[in-house]
This record gives sequence, structure tokens and C-alpha cells, in this order.
Amino acid sequence: MRKINFIVALGTGLLVFGVALTRSVPAGTVPSQAGTIPVKPRYISLAPATTEILFALGLDEEIVGVSSFCNYPLKAKTKEKVGTFSQPNVEKIISLKPDIIFCTGLEQTPVVNALRQLNLKVYVSDPSNIKELLNSIRDIGRLTGREKEADTLINKMEQVLGQVNVKVKLIPPEKRLKVFIEIWHDPLMTVGKKSFVDEVLTLAGGINIAADTLQPYLYFSPEQVIKRNPDCIIQTYMSENEPLKTIEKRLGWKEISAVKHGRVYNDINPDILLRPGPRIVEGLQELHKKLYP
Amino acid sequence: MKISLKISLLLIILIVAILLAITKGSVDIPLAELLLKENWQVLYLRILRILVAIIAGSGLAVSGIALQAILRNPLAEPYLLGTSSGAGLGAVIAIILGISSIYLPLAAFLGAILSIILVYQLAKQGSRIPVQSLILSGVIVSIALSGIMVFLISVSPNEALHGIMWWLWGSLQFYDPKLLLLVGMVVALGTFAIFIFSQDLNAISIGDEEAIHLGINTETIKKILFFITSLITAGIVSICGVIGFVGLIIPHLTRLIVGPNHKTLIPASCVCAAAFMVICDIFSRTLFTPLEIPIGIITAFLGAPVFIILLKIKQAVK
Amino acid sequence: MDLLKVDNLCGGYGKETVIRDVSFKIEEGGFLGIIGPNGSGKSTLLRLMSRVLIPQTGKIILEDTDIARMHLKDFCKKVAFVPQDTMINFSFNVWEIALLGRIPHLRRMQWEGRRDFSIAQNSLSLTDTLHLKDKPIDEVSAGERQRVIIAKALTQEPILMLLDEPTSHLDIGHQIQVLNLLKRLNRQNNLTIVVVLHDLNLASEYCQRIILLNAGKIFKEGEPQEVLTYQNIETVYKTVVVVNKNPISFKPYVVLVSGER
Repeated sequence: MRKINFIVALGTGLLVFGVALTRSVPAGTVPSQAGTIPVKPRYISLAPATTEILFALGLDEEIVGVSSFCNYPLKAKTKEKVGTFSQPNVEKIISLKPDIIFCTGLEQTPVVNALRQLNLKVYVSDPSNIKELLNSIRDIGRLTGREKEADTLINKMEQVLGQVNVKVKLIPPEKRLKVFIEIWHDPLMTVGKKSFVDEVLTLAGGINIAADTLQPYLYFSPEQVIKRNPDCIIQTYMSENEPLKTIEKRLGWKEISAVKHGRVYNDINPDILLRPGPRIVEGLQELHKKLYP
Repeated sequence: MKISLKISLLLIILIVAILLAITKGSVDIPLAELLLKENWQVLYLRILRILVAIIAGSGLAVSGIALQAILRNPLAEPYLLGTSSGAGLGAVIAIILGISSIYLPLAAFLGAILSIILVYQLAKQGSRIPVQSLILSGVIVSIALSGIMVFLISVSPNEALHGIMWWLWGSLQFYDPKLLLLVGMVVALGTFAIFIFSQDLNAISIGDEEAIHLGINTETIKKILFFITSLITAGIVSICGVIGFVGLIIPHLTRLIVGPNHKTLIPASCVCAAAFMVICDIFSRTLFTPLEIPIGIITAFLGAPVFIILLKIKQAVK
Repeated sequence: MDLLKVDNLCGGYGKETVIRDVSFKIEEGGFLGIIGPNGSGKSTLLRLMSRVLIPQTGKIILEDTDIARMHLKDFCKKVAFVPQDTMINFSFNVWEIALLGRIPHLRRMQWEGRRDFSIAQNSLSLTDTLHLKDKPIDEVSAGERQRVIIAKALTQEPILMLLDEPTSHLDIGHQIQVLNLLKRLNRQNNLTIVVVLHDLNLASEYCQRIILLNAGKIFKEGEPQEVLTYQNIETVYKTVVVVNKNPISFKPYVVLVSGER
């Protein structure tokens, strides 16, 4: 008898719970809106990449808050900080009375949910390739009333893309370099097929040795790197050491083609390579130059 | 000092704490200005947090009291029976499946409930639940589920899983008023139900057999309380993550203040826990503003010294 | 009038049978002692009588009602139990412990009233522990703690009290004190008492009737001089003794005979 009561109570509880849940979070996607853009708009950007996009669209006064990681352009550093990239402070954000808050997905999902629950307008951009990036620039332009500037920016970027593309086409397939992109060293991490960086690498004319994996970011085995013998290694994190010297010390890595020919680089600014923003085309150019000087 | 006086004092501390919590934060707005329409959003945010703090605190404390009595073990606390690992696993699975934006609390809740059912089934011997096997099963299930959770986190470098860190250390950032109301009702009803069983808890804390000699159906009561504390804990964990320390220390702290009689211990603990959580919330929001320190860290850092001081005072009095 | 009747009782822990086919009666106002070697089932029998254990077969009848059919709280209004020793982890004070005895008489949400307080006070003074009432239970001596537990049992206002070796942790002075108290309660308040003792001479001095248990069965039942004979003791305890007469009470007095000289 007691057991039945237990099950009934549990079932009812779960049911009510589920119902309350489905009615609680409003479906939030891109706020498409026939509404007008306020006279003095206030925007907050929680992602360094999006901050760069906003500035590139000519916005400045309108940006009232950024994350502590937003460091480009220099003007961004003078803006009010609302917390770190993964831990934005919701209270700070709403006290700045933003009209739109620009976020990314993934790590910021809990914050995005929280902000939406408070009925704030949130735009989430999480491009996984160049096409999506250009689309999101277009969206952001539309939301902020800077369609013209957005088109200009997109055209400029596409121009650079075209230039690099032409150069890459001239390289015969056998001469294309195998590249290992090292995102972090301990544990060893790289990018897979679905990642943004992988696409940039391909557009630069390189072949990602980890392209057979589907995850965007993954732990990679050092032995696999040896086995796949890349021609070039790009480290995308800042370190003061001479990259070649430290990499040589890794067990068995002396035999890798990239190490033997001294083609280990860590001097591409990771911000322009890893951020899905306006400077990604710069990153593309630099990467191409490094691979095919 | 009379007990009613002590409880009144605790209530005053709670009210002061609430007032402070409303005014302090990453933005300093004086109380009078807070009532202006333009600041209502911030006020609303802070009031929600205070409510979450009160609900989580009193729920965890009273669950801790009930478990300490049932298991006759002063180290018992609400997460002993696997709720935290089960909820964590549920949350991780939800994040991996990509449904975490809407379904995280539900997944965590289900995870908690399933782990409790697992613990119960493992511990059962016939129709009795011996105390030793409950504790043992709880520990085993906790470790096993935590292991699976860590495995999943390491195998799938989904960046959203970084978000799980805040959850594992507890967070009072919960802004869904409807769900909060639901959990609040569950916690309030559960706490009240446990209060009704004060007499039974008094008897059980003397001994299982002793309780039978006083006319208490211990096995039935244990099962009911087990169910209620599990529900309360699962509900709280699903919206706040894992806030440790409160369910273990507040019962002891309050016992030092008002004594072990559950009829007074339970109401006093609710007030004490609520005040404690609100104070911890203030610190978590103001210490390194705008950065917010996870509440579980504050409860540990604040709770331990306070408890030690009170213990020393009590010992000195003797 | 028979207060308690035990009929063909078999019981134990799980599938194990410790008590085999035990039957006996207790009169109202009786003072019954249960003795026997270790493992003979004394505590088990007491647990079966106090409803902690459920009989495998057989019945126990209290005042014409099968105890298995009684509501547990109603049963506890009539029968109180004093265990061998209690470790209490929580620091209730003596007064609160005594008051716990009122639980069978109170509904779940009912608070204690004046009558409950006066009964508790009375029990504490009967056991000479009233002066300790504000002391935490984990700060009193073993002897005092045992008397407080007896006070708690008295607060239940029982008609039958069961005690499981209440004197095993006490020194001789306190042993006499506790048993004198029980004897007084038995005579003055007509409280029926069943007590498990391992000290044969204490049983002899204080009990009206004695049951000698062996391997779960009643070996002998009767008045002390019938049960405490050297033949019975030697058969059951497998040790040589001499039985004299206590010079003051003329009750049987068991003298142990050491094997080594």
C-alpha cells in the first residue's frame, strides 16, 4: 500500500515538474523583430569575437559592457567589465540596462538561459564555419541598424578569402602540407573536422592531420602525432619558450618531419586565429604565409 | 536563555541578512533608490536569489537533521545517499545531449531520484533498511556515479561541460520563478512533514529498538523520511547544483544553540540555515565583484570557523 | 489474574530459531527473573515479549489480547522496556530523556502538558535522579544513566516492565539500589516485572519466580528454591557449584567452586 503511494506521489511530482518546466522557458532564438531600434541603444557583448564585430560595424558609445576577456580593439578595454567569459555577472549586466546582449553558446548557455528567463533580449552566435560567421555578422548588422557597415565588412572579408583561395588553388595537391594544430600542450589538444579552425586551415591550403575526427575539440594522443607525421606544427597558445626546443624534448617527436625541418610556429596571435570574428581573415593570411612562404 | 528568545534572535539575524543582501551586490544601490522603477530588475534579481538561498538552506538543513537521526550518525548529510552524484550525472548527460537549456533541472532531478532508488534497493534487506547498509550503499553509489560523470566529462570535450563546474560547487543563480515556486512548495511541504515527525525523530535518535519501545514504527518512519528527504534534496540540487556543508553543519550548529529536541531544533534550523545561506550569498556576490564565487566554497569557508568558535564557547562554558 | 501468557513461542533472528516452543504465565504483580547461560536466548525472549522481534510461531497474550494485534503505541502504554545499556549520541538532558517516556501517550503533534511533566518528575524522584534533571545524558555516570532510563520507562506508566540485564554494568552498591527500587515499585505500585539477570544470587534474592533457560527452551520454572539447585545449575551451566542458604533471607545462595586451587 505504501509502495503504491510512493510511486503515485513520485509520478505526480515528476509530471507537475515537467509541466512547469515546459511552460517556464520561452523559446528563444534570434529575436527577429519588426520593432524599431531604440534611439540610444545599449549593447553588451560577452564574447571577445562579437565585441570585435560590434566595433568593426562602427559601434562604440552604444557598447556599454564587455567581458573581461574582450581586449580588441583597444577601446574595448576601456568599457565596463561585466565578468569573465565563462562567468558573466547577471546582476551587473541588468544594472547596465542593455537592449541586446550578445553571447556565444556552449559555455555561456547557463547565462543565456538565465538572461532569457529575465526577459532580456539575447543574441547567441556560435558559428562553426566561415559561412555561419558571415551570416551572423549580417544578423548583428541588422539588429543594430548597421546593415550597410555589415555588408562592407563582409565584402572586405570575402575579398581576402578570394585572394587566398586563388593562391591556394595554385598549389598542387601533393605539395599541400600536413599540419598539426596544437591548441594546448598538457593534455595535448587539437581541433577536429567540425571546428572553425579546421576550416581556416583548409582554406589556407593545409591538411589537418586530425581531420578524421568529428569532434570540434579533442584530446589527441602524442603517439598519433608521431604516426601521422605532420609537415608543420602550429601552436595556438602563448608561450615564451622557443617552441622548437621544447617540442624536441617530447619523446619520439624528434623524428616528426615538422620538427626535423624546424617548422614549428607559435607566433601567430591566437586571438586572430581562434576568434570567429573580423580578424579571422588576417589569421587566414598569416597561416597561409607560414605554410607556404 | 530561553529557547523562544534564541529563535527570535536568529530571526532578527535573518531579517538583517536579507536587508543587507538586497542592498549589496556588484552594483551598490542604496535601499531607498532600489524601490525606484528603474532599479526593479536588480531588486527582482536579488529577491529571487534570497528566496533560492532560503529554500535551499532550510531544505538542506532539515534533511540533514532527519538523516542524522535516522542513520544515528552525526556525519550524515543530505548528499550521503547519492543525490549529488546522481544529479550531477543527469546534468552532464543533459549537457552532452544538448538539451541542457531547458531540461537541465529535470535531468538533474531524475538523476537524483534514480540514484536514490538504486541506493534503496541495494540497502534493503527484506523489509528492513539497516542503517549500516544504507550508508554503505550511499557511498558506493555516489562513487560509482561520480566516476561515470567524470568519465563522460573527460571523453567528451564539449565546452559546455565547463559550465558544469559552477553547478558542482553550487549556484544560487536561478531565475525561473515558476520552477522556483514549484521547488519551494516541495521543500516547504517536505520540511513541514519532517517537523510533524519530530516526536518520532526524538525517539529514533535514542536508538532503533528504543524507538520501538516507545511505540514508534521505525521501519515505516524511516522509509517515509527517506523518501521525503530525497525529494527535498533532489529538488534543491536540480536548481542549485551541489551546495555542500550546509546540511551537515547547520544541524550541529543549531543543536549547540537550542539542543537536540527536534520540536525546537527543526524550526530553529530553518531560520539558522536561511540566515547562513543569505549571508554566504552576500559574500559570494561582493567579495570579488563582478566575479561571483560559487556558493559552495563560501559555505565551506564560512561554516567551518563559525562552527569551531561556537564549539569552543560551549566547551569553555562547561 | 494472568497478566501475560506466552504460548508455544518460537522465534529468532531471520530464519534462525533461538527460542523453541516456550510457554509460561506471569501473574499480575509478579516479579519474574529469567536466567540462563550465554546464548540460551534470554535477550531474544525479552525482545519477542517487547515486540522488537516478531514470533515465528506461537502467541503472546497481554491481558487477554494478542500483542501482535495491538496497535504499537497502545502496547507501549502498558509495557516498558529497559535495555542493557544505552549509548546516546545526542545530548538530550535527563529531564528530556524522562519525558520521552510520555511518547506512547501523546499524539504525534501533541505537546507535553502539566500532567506529563508531573509524571516525569515523579519518575525521576523515584529513581533518585531528580537532582540531575538539567544535566546532559552523556555527562552522567553509568549507574545514574541506568536509573534515568528506568525513570523513562516509569514515565510510560506501564503495568509491565521488562528489563534486560539492568545491573550488568553497575557496581554492587548500584546493583542493590536498582533492584531495591524495582522491588519497591513491584510491591507498592503493583508493577509487574520481568528481568533478565546473569547474577544468580540477585535473581534468587529479588525474584518471586525464576525461569531457567537452556538452548532456547525452559529448563526449569518455579520459585527460587525449586530452580536454583546444584543439579539444575550444573546441568545447564556445566560447572560445579554448591548451593547454600543466604543467612539473612534464607533464599538459595549459589557458591561457585573454582577448579583450580
